[in-house]
Amino acid sequence: MSLWSHIFGEIGFRKLNALFSLLGLTLAVTVVVASQLLAEADERETRRVTRDMGFNLRLISAETDLGQFYRDGFSRNEMDSAMLDRLATHLTNNVSFNHLVGSLRREYTINGQDILLIGLSETYVAPGQGKKPMGVVIKKGTIHIGSEVARKQKKGRNDTMHLGERQFTVANDPIETGTPDDITIFTRLEDVQSVLRLEGKINEIEAIDCLCLTADQDPLAILRKEIGNILPEVQVVQMRTLADARAKQRQTREKVNQFVLPWVLVACAVWVALLAVLNVRDRRQEIGILRALGKGGGRIAGLFLGKAALLGLMASVFGAVFGTWAVLEFGPSLFPVTKKAIQANPTLAWQMVVATPVFAAFASFIPAMLAVSHDPAETLRED
Amino acid sequence: MIRCDDVTKIFRKNGSEVTSLDRFTADIGAGEFVAVRGPSGSGKTTLLLTLGGMQRPSAGLVQFSGRDLYGLSPADRAGLRSGEIGFVFQMFHLVPYLDLMGNVLLASPGKPGPAVRKRAGELLDKLGLAERVSHRPGELSAGERQRLAVARALLNRPKLILADEPTGNLDPENAAEVVRHLAEFHKTGGTVVLVTHGTTADTHADRFLHLKQGRLVAD
Ligand SMILES: Nc1ncnc2c1ncn2[C@@H]1O[C@H](COP(=O)(O)OP(=O)(O)OP(=O)(O)O)[C@@H](O)[C@H]1O
Ligand SMILES: [Mg+2]
Repeated sequence: MSLWSHIFGEIGFRKLNALFSLLGLTLAVTVVVASQLLAEADERETRRVTRDMGFNLRLISAETDLGQFYRDGFSRNEMDSAMLDRLATHLTNNVSFNHLVGSLRREYTINGQDILLIGLSETYVAPGQGKKPMGVVIKKGTIHIGSEVARKQKKGRNDTMHLGERQFTVANDPIETGTPDDITIFTRLEDVQSVLRLEGKINEIEAIDCLCLTADQDPLAILRKEIGNILPEVQVVQMRTLADARAKQRQTREKVNQFVLPWVLVACAVWVALLAVLNVRDRRQEIGILRALGKGGGRIAGLFLGKAALLGLMASVFGAVFGTWAVLEFGPSLFPVTKKAIQANPTLAWQMVVATPVFAAFASFIPAMLAVSHDPAETLRED
Repeated sequence: MIRCDDVTKIFRKNGSEVTSLDRFTADIGAGEFVAVRGPSGSGKTTLLLTLGGMQRPSAGLVQFSGRDLYGLSPADRAGLRSGEIGFVFQMFHLVPYLDLMGNVLLASPGKPGPAVRKRAGELLDKLGLAERVSHRPGELSAGERQRLAVARALLNRPKLILADEPTGNLDPENAAEVVRHLAEFHKTGGTVVLVTHGTTADTHADRFLHLKQGRLVAD
């Protein structure tokens, strides 16, 4: 009598017990899959939004008049680029901002065309956080030009252009964006510094907030305090609407992950364990006779752990399918901010296929040990 | 085959003590057909479970083919049960969700090969259950269930069969039939220890042990 045919036979015989275990496990898998898919959508969307819309914190000199700043689109008060380095050394997991880029922005005239010239430093990322710096990386000796610059100057990718006395190669295909980027030339910070003869100067530091602060914490006040402690000579401007929507949704989802998820898992484990205990009680006679027939504890534990693992395997398939379906079906209306980023994840489904049988076996471990330690003489005596 | 020296079993529960076997001493030889008798509560089941390595005595020595049965490791004792001892109980103790074939094959120590399946089929045939192989125990009459239990006990060609009132739930005809199968096993050289209230065993048993309050009072 092989272990598996034995297990299959028992499941078919006590259908309700198996069905309830299966339901509990399926619920656990569904919740895990759904919350994980939403988390991934959230992350994907955050990445996309950040890439599309750029940084949402702008640090400029405290002396800057905001009227001038909003009118011109940049600050006319320069700061030492050493301030960027100082801020970068404070990038850890304990601060609420990340991804620092220093820049020097000025109006500039090239062959009679008024443009915006922006020099960007490399991106500073907190250790162990960003894998890739966000935004474009500008190679040495190259510039990225806006569509209107390209049109007026009759330049395209791989053409050369002069800024001051220095020659650069156009590295991008200019595309019209409908933003000031269309009349902008981007290049490396040190190139703009030398063109404008403002060596060692920047006039802005861009950053992203961690999206981890709740609205009632007043994130801007916290950010101002954190940054002000390091750089008292700057003022912090935050693009709020963007930041708020992202932060809010992320918090909703994380609340689910941090609070609901563990409790659902614990409840499911307890449920499965209780059903296994009932199953062991139902099968005391059987355990007794298996002992009399010379079966060892391994075989008896195997009957219960194997059953749990088998139900876990089935639940992982049902749960992965059901959880994915539920998220694809209802996710977009529940989480509108990230609806475009919601998608299925086959890798996650495979992980569930491996993890759920293990989870189920763990939940049934104590009942299985109960079965093994059962004194067969007691049940065999019963008549 | 089995030697018992001063085997004593005391159950302790909530301070009260029950002595269900009291210095039981006997030597059961290979090929004997032993009937065990005694009033209810005299320790017959306790004796049988102790002989079968299912219940450790509080004191005394049980030797099986010269080996100290309770000195063996649990795994060795289980191996000995599976290979050399067959059990038959009053309540049949069949596995309800396995078919007849599955119940018989359950006795197989490993994954049953073709030879074992063939033997299981032959046993079911011999015990008049050939037509019912794919049925479940719940679909059988009491007599059929007990014959199934006998088939299961015989699968591994044991040396010893321990039967605890196997006829207790059967009408006289079925009881006689079950005892006849045990007698047949005895004729082919097997040892039988049979706990019984009835008289059907009398014609086959060649030795009677009488228990009273855990003590052997007549041999
Ligand atoms: N687990 C136990 N705990 C306490 N007492 C027990 C236990 N098992 C058996 N006994 C007691 O041991 C004594 C002998 O029991 P046993 O079952 O061996 O008797 P028996 O001769 O088989 O009786 P019957 O003919 O009714 O089956 C009885 O008094 C019983 O109550
Ligand atoms: Mg009894």
